[in-house]
Amino acid sequence: MPAPADQLSVGLAACDCLTPFGDAGATAAALRAGRRALELRPVLGRDGGDAVPLALFGPMDETRPPRWLAELEKLAVRIPAGAWGAAREPVIVTSSNFGVGSLYAFTRDQDARHLAHGTPFATVDYLRGVFGWGEHVHVFSHACVTAHLGLAHAARLLHAGLADRVLVFSFDFVSPFVAGGFHSLKILNGQMPAPYAARETGSIGLGDGAAFAVLAREPAQFRLAAHALHNEMYHVTGNQPDGAGFAACAAAIAAAAGGRRVWIKGHGTGTLEAGRLEAEILARQFPGAPLVSWKGSLGHTLGSCGLVELAIALAALREGAIPGTVGSAAPCFTDTVALAPFASTGFDAAVLTSNAFGGAHAAMLLTHD
Amino acid sequence: MIERFIHHLRVELPAAGETAAEARVRLADKFPRTALRRMTHLGLLLGSALDGAPLGPEDALVYASTFAETRSLENFLLSFPAASPLLFQASIHPGGVQQVLVGRQQPVARLWPLAARARLVEQALLATLLEPAARVALVGGEERGTWMLEQHMAAPRAFAFAAVLTREAAGASGRVEFAPGAAPDGTPPSLEDFSNALAARSALGWTGAGGAWTLEWL
Repeated sequence: MPAPADQLSVGLAACDCLTPFGDAGATAAALRAGRRALELRPVLGRDGGDAVPLALFGPMDETRPPRWLAELEKLAVRIPAGAWGAAREPVIVTSSNFGVGSLYAFTRDQDARHLAHGTPFATVDYLRGVFGWGEHVHVFSHACVTAHLGLAHAARLLHAGLADRVLVFSFDFVSPFVAGGFHSLKILNGQMPAPYAARETGSIGLGDGAAFAVLAREPAQFRLAAHALHNEMYHVTGNQPDGAGFAACAAAIAAAAGGRRVWIKGHGTGTLEAGRLEAEILARQFPGAPLVSWKGSLGHTLGSCGLVELAIALAALREGAIPGTVGSAAPCFTDTVALAPFASTGFDAAVLTSNAFGGAHAAMLLTHD
Repeated sequence: MIERFIHHLRVELPAAGETAAEARVRLADKFPRTALRRMTHLGLLLGSALDGAPLGPEDALVYASTFAETRSLENFLLSFPAASPLLFQASIHPGGVQQVLVGRQQPVARLWPLAARARLVEQALLATLLEPAARVALVGGEERGTWMLEQHMAAPRAFAFAAVLTREAAGASGRVEFAPGAAPDGTPPSLEDFSNALAARSALGWTGAGGAWTLEWL
């Protein structure tokens, strides 16, 4: 029996993201138009290397101040005013990489000024100074399911009566550190990703992304109604071959979804085995529910992907049209994969999933009026 | 008031200069041989602290580390331009505890890896107390850095702890309590101070996160 999902419904008082296409609305529109932010670029930036698919705000090379700061400042002006970082209005920062690109830069030029934002705690201290946040800044880092943890923990804080509002802030920017790492694993290669497409070789792209959500107990048009998590611990990077980890998480979120008519924003990075397991198990658990991935356009925004893609989903729902799986083509692993945009009418919820190293699985249920 | 009771408790405070190779020899009987040779110092210490901890697939684990997978991070950075895939995997938080759980093929329902500094202990305890799982393993630790330590970006010494907390008072050795109420923020213990308090069975108390915290021994 899988562990049951947390069913601690909270309202999304505000939520937005930034990708190379712009904010959530602009990104959803670009995806509906089938545009691809990924471009082939050298894997190590100015240090060269193979050309791989990256979706970036600009050159990947680290700068001082770090290249992500200006983008985060643009995003932060959209956050509603609050005593963020106070005990009753805590911040949860979720990232896989934080400012690790600055550590890479330090190893190249030995300029110690990069270190002011090179580690998770240094990055968060730096952000606290820039944004004036108080001390109550929780920091989660669990690879590509990180944002889900932040959102789930926020719901727990709210339902325990320990917070009035919670700001979840998430970002991951590509650096030679992470691009070089995924390239060494051979899954970041010269091919553009085609999520859920049944083809000869798999590949992923990586992308810059940042997002925030303000969560509150008060009713709202959009609500995060449930979170399911599961950690296989079968292999450091791989999944159980029978898909049992995907199934445990999918079963828990399906139980929480009840009889709702859902569409699914999957993880869909472009790897073959994980993509096949994910598509097949979601199709089994949610018969007929359309499945999309947006990483064929935006690349994988790593620890922030859960929140970046949540913001895009909200923007798409507001427009009434859900982007399809950009970059993919038939044949796909299942006939539930939606390649083209589709109308959101007829659906009353969405399931959003992410997966990570260690066989970590996360899913959340987004409901709306 | 939210409370949990401490059952399994183990703290690893190795000699200050212990290396990963020395820990591998000292702790060899606690790990499968195939896993042992790839484990980091932090992974070895966390694994030893978790040895015998009664965890099931429906349970949860909270992992607190400010500096996390320091040595893998240092070595991965030095592996460029021929980036090492093994070091890349090991450098990613929460690799320290994942290598232990993967080695034991121990699934958990929820894993909460935290990586803050100032209020890390308080936040890890909050995550622990808010967990609905019957058993929650609260683990933490650091490994000593080399070139990052010279830049104050790594811990000066290695340590690890693991405590399993439940709602059952019977047989418990300690108790953690959070009493919500208006209270100004005090100073929570650092991760190392918390680890030392667990090792010495010392009581702790402070205010923060909108309430008062107590660690007491039974």
